[in-house]
Amino acid sequence: MESKSCNNFISYVGFEEHEMQNLGSSRRNSINENSIKLLPGEAVVAKGQNVLMFEPVSESKQGISGVLSITNFKLTFVTADDNGDDIYQQNNLYGYTDTCLSNIDTIYLLMGDKKRKLVPGAVVPSKVKGIFIICKNLRTWSFSFKFSPIGDGKNVLNALLHHAFPTKHHLLFAYEYKEPYYSSVDKEVQLFRNITDWQNELDRTYSRGIHLKNGWRLSTANVEFQICPSLSEYIIVPASVTDSQLFKVAQHFQGSRPPVWSWSNEQGAALVKMSELCPSITERTQENIMLENIRKNHPRKIQPVIIELNKDISIKAVASSFSKFVHLCSPESVRQFLMQENNFYSLLESTKWLKYVSYCLQKAVEASEQLNNGVPVILQEGAGRDVCCIISSLVQLLSDPYFRTITGFQSLLQKEWVAAGHPFCDRLGHLKNDGSKKSPLFLLYLDCVWQLCQQFPAEFEFTETYLTTLWDTAHISIFETFIFNCERDRIKAATDPNTRLVLRSVWDWREQFNEQDILLFHNPLFNHPGSSSPSYAKGKSAFLKPLYKISCLEIWSQCYFRWIPHLVINNGGHNQIEMYARLLQNDVAQLQMDINGGGGISSSPIDKMSTYLLQMNINSFYPFSNKKSGNTVSTPIINTSFIMSESMIDAESLLTAPD
Amino acid sequence: MEKRGSAELLNVEQSNSKNASSDSLNSDSKSSSLNSKIGQESESWEKASRSKSFSTSSTSTDNNIISALETNKENQGKEDLNLTGNETGPPLLNGERVQGVARDVTYLCPYSGPARGVLSVTNYKLHFRSIDRETPYVVDMPLGVVSRIEKVGGALSRGENSYGIEIFCKDMRNLRFAHKQENHSRRNVFEKLQQYSFPLSHNMLLFAYEYSETFPDNGWNVYEPIAELKRMGINNDMWKISKINDLYSICDSYPGVWAVPTAATDEDLQSSAAFRSRGRLPVLSWIHPESQATITRCAQPLVGVGGKRSREDERYIQLIMDANAQSHKLIIMDARPMANAVANKAKGGGYESEDAYQNSEVVFLDIHNIHVMRESLRKLKELCFPTIDETRWLSGLESTMWLKHIKCILTGAVKIVAKVETHKTSVLVHCSDGWDRTAQLTALAMLLLDPYYRTIKGFEVLIEKEWLSFGHKFQQRIGHGDEHHSDADRSPVFVQFIDCVWQVSQQFPNAFQFNEHFLTTILDHLYSCRFGTFLCSSERERVQERLKERTVSLWSYINNQIPFYQNPLYWDGPNHQLVLIPIASMRYIKPWKSFYCRWNPSMRQQDPVYQRTRELLVQKEQLKKKAEECRREQASRTNRTLNSSAPPRLHSPVHS
Repeated sequence: MESKSCNNFISYVGFEEHEMQNLGSSRRNSINENSIKLLPGEAVVAKGQNVLMFEPVSESKQGISGVLSITNFKLTFVTADDNGDDIYQQNNLYGYTDTCLSNIDTIYLLMGDKKRKLVPGAVVPSKVKGIFIICKNLRTWSFSFKFSPIGDGKNVLNALLHHAFPTKHHLLFAYEYKEPYYSSVDKEVQLFRNITDWQNELDRTYSRGIHLKNGWRLSTANVEFQICPSLSEYIIVPASVTDSQLFKVAQHFQGSRPPVWSWSNEQGAALVKMSELCPSITERTQENIMLENIRKNHPRKIQPVIIELNKDISIKAVASSFSKFVHLCSPESVRQFLMQENNFYSLLESTKWLKYVSYCLQKAVEASEQLNNGVPVILQEGAGRDVCCIISSLVQLLSDPYFRTITGFQSLLQKEWVAAGHPFCDRLGHLKNDGSKKSPLFLLYLDCVWQLCQQFPAEFEFTETYLTTLWDTAHISIFETFIFNCERDRIKAATDPNTRLVLRSVWDWREQFNEQDILLFHNPLFNHPGSSSPSYAKGKSAFLKPLYKISCLEIWSQCYFRWIPHLVINNGGHNQIEMYARLLQNDVAQLQMDINGGGGISSSPIDKMSTYLLQMNINSFYPFSNKKSGNTVSTPIINTSFIMSESMIDAESLLTAPD
Repeated sequence: MEKRGSAELLNVEQSNSKNASSDSLNSDSKSSSLNSKIGQESESWEKASRSKSFSTSSTSTDNNIISALETNKENQGKEDLNLTGNETGPPLLNGERVQGVARDVTYLCPYSGPARGVLSVTNYKLHFRSIDRETPYVVDMPLGVVSRIEKVGGALSRGENSYGIEIFCKDMRNLRFAHKQENHSRRNVFEKLQQYSFPLSHNMLLFAYEYSETFPDNGWNVYEPIAELKRMGINNDMWKISKINDLYSICDSYPGVWAVPTAATDEDLQSSAAFRSRGRLPVLSWIHPESQATITRCAQPLVGVGGKRSREDERYIQLIMDANAQSHKLIIMDARPMANAVANKAKGGGYESEDAYQNSEVVFLDIHNIHVMRESLRKLKELCFPTIDETRWLSGLESTMWLKHIKCILTGAVKIVAKVETHKTSVLVHCSDGWDRTAQLTALAMLLLDPYYRTIKGFEVLIEKEWLSFGHKFQQRIGHGDEHHSDADRSPVFVQFIDCVWQVSQQFPNAFQFNEHFLTTILDHLYSCRFGTFLCSSERERVQERLKERTVSLWSYINNQIPFYQNPLYWDGPNHQLVLIPIASMRYIKPWKSFYCRWNPSMRQQDPVYQRTRELLVQKEQLKKKAEECRREQASRTNRTLNSSAPPRLHSPVHS
């Protein structure tokens, strides 16, 4: 297999084969220059010729030669035998050998065996041998400028450092993108930007509990962000609290954020997010007034419980955990990969990533149990914009089946993250900052949701492919959804005559993908509520109770390992289950069509599968895998050149050696 | 039975979910077939109590269906068979008798606290049934799983529940019972437990010899050596069937029927056997249907310190190489770490020198010996039972080395597959004696290479062939009925193999006809001594013991209820994969929690894979039903049109 693979790599050029390299390159250049695909408003800012790109997690001995360009939107590598069809999931905005600049996390300068991390504004040496890039979606890139014209490396690197870490928000590509936009977002997705969405949500939750007096009301006190800049313009507050009271109360809380309603269950128990009191304020009167109002407005006047979310978790702790975790997911070389194999489990433990996943799920279960007993729950944390968002949306996923549909999930993200003012711009690190604000809380949330999908495979309408794509999408600086810190900033940018930002929603998936790829977001195992399937039999409560102990959690390999070629399982992986279910559905749809004479009438997205051409022989990272990888990555390194750890030949086994 | 099939599964599922919380048949979710023999399931009390605290999710009952069904079925049968059982006594198998009963015993459950009840001992199992709880708490365990029994506390011990019996088991759990501190209340059951857990140490027969039950299909006929060789196309030009060992005279731990190179004479075989440890010469395990590359197995050569050679053995190996026209090489996979292979020279063993065996290449696979594996599993048990320390679960797992050993074995198997499949080169596998690591490697490699072994019957054949007939010493490794719990010959080699199979099934969820429950059932009966399958250590011993006549085969039992063991995701249609290459990376190798941690109720509420499988089965059945309806509708329509347009015909034209 190994020998075969080498023959397949016609364009693979060894470092030693210098002459051959030059022969082919001029031809490639001419092809390449024409084939950089640019979006309207996109412009090339730097270019490196004859750049070698290495296979991720390889020995960096052989690379593909091509042109590495930096635009104001992306990093793009174009090679002669590059064809855009190399990947299953195709993005309309960028290709397989491209990455959005906002996705770039860290850039390392390669110097022989060492590497040096470069921060924006760092002085770039005149001779750049190679660079190694780690992306926020864990993809890695490794380039060598060994054969490039002098200066190309430096130019590319300078452009990269400058454009990947903009200093001002209006330098993000969203402001440059000139493509006209006609929204085709599903109308069912509530953006929680206007008053009706809020009113509907309040009505929806209260219509389920039939005889309940609604203890909450929609307030317009924050219109034009008069109370709080980071909350939405419409907030839902205890019915007994007047708007003028709100103004007063808000000042006592961090970020001027008064406690606001998130959701209520059938029993009228509300889920509330609350920030902590400002450090300067010592008396708790205002807090107590709000607590009393929340109690009073409960149908049975039950005292709310406060779940504090600032004890065992912090933005910083999550960030540092993830930075360790990244190393396990994005090894820079085979050597590092194999070293990690030796003690992967203890390395994993030391990152504490699963510990935080476990923490969030545990808190969500605690809160859900309280609510289920009719007790109102108040989530409290610093400014109530981070861990609060994770827990409150998890609670709603556990308790409210509506949010487990795709439109419901998107509405939930709008309500609990976007409108609630989770500082996406800071946390995702879209702008150059000192790094203290950057923290992948959103990924932590997606990981928690993924764990739920694993434990309840038929309860969610979306697939893990959807969740992974969502994390990728969070780093495309074209969509408004994840680039702002709060609604006020968003509205400002959209109305400012100087910028006039077009608000493109991430939920407009057609901007990125074709129908076939969007269909992969639909979980074929999903039991539509109301369907006759047995698990939706009457009397079944909607409350999911996941296991949250670390020993019960799994690693989200699709999201974290998909860029490591050695981990591709050909014809294997969990998505085989999905494929199998789709096959069955295809058969059924086909039969139905046959019977109905071609007029299968159903609006369910799954029925569209009848037109869906199933990809057979998919590998474990489908649809993110490179189509070629199945052939080119031969018997994985771990299996052929197996580096046995020294620790395996331990004293113990030598003692008992002659067996 | 087969006809009942999955339609019935569906019905049960529906009825189950209707009364999810009050389901008294709510059986052990790991559906251990051992436990499911009785009406009340062992952990049912816990289940019931947990479901009171919150309503169960859609799927939490799903994985109980299989065992619920089994329970139903077995109970139906029992009505006629169970003559001795009464209201409170344990349900009994045919040939099972109650030997001792202790009342007023407290079972100290590590999860739900003490439960007071009656402890019975039969010649097959231990049975405890609580009397102080609304839903009785039941422990039901074959005595075959007992490793050792100890008395805890004496007549003068103080404190509650300080006097009693502790039972250490081979299947990752321990049980503790507390007795009243008077009249030697534990003496009788303790003695009976000793006797019937370790019948061989008390000059008694294993239960398998007393158990009788007839099944429609006799599992002893599942494996016919000649038929299996014929399936692989033997005899052919290069390989022949040899019955030279018919009386087990050349090698007493080998089967009576071998496949060897056609060119090899009986003298060749005899002299090769003379140069191999315990006479275990290279014979065929598997042959590639297209390339004719083979997997052969043997024991180490008797090289010794002096570096002895055997021209005959070298010539014989050359014949194996020559039998494969596609390659001029032979890879010798020595399962051991090189250090161990070298150390074996001191005891007269060793490994092939590449100088002596021309065109051969020796590869060491670094798999450790049975003692290392035993120690590793002991540590794993310490980590998993009774409760898990969450703060150091991952690093604790690493320190047991268990997953590392699994990875090593998988890596070895993948290397064999790569040579045979990709390089079309024959591989000879051995370790020291060729009955532990060698069996793991050849069986796994065959499983990866040949889809037949991934079916239920094929897997049974694989175990019969590579493990049982080639003399894996089950008797010594498991220690059936033997009280010497610290015997150095005991080792979980077979458990480890099943774990590897499970790992592969995790990576290829639709490549196997069987499900996890099938693997668990095999492991349960590895210990139970209810069936004759895993008794004795070689084919010769089994023939001597007349096991086929005197005991029931596990495969009779399993093949009688195939639907329980079927993987609904199994895909053998077009494009199904012939060869599996699992990724032997630590990032994928996982602890088999639903086996090792199955006694811990908090670990087993949901098993995602199993659950998903159950869900799919239901969904598949629904879809199938739907499709069937469509087809029927179509058929009737076609019939109508045909009837109106054409003269009536005798047979319906649609059903094919």
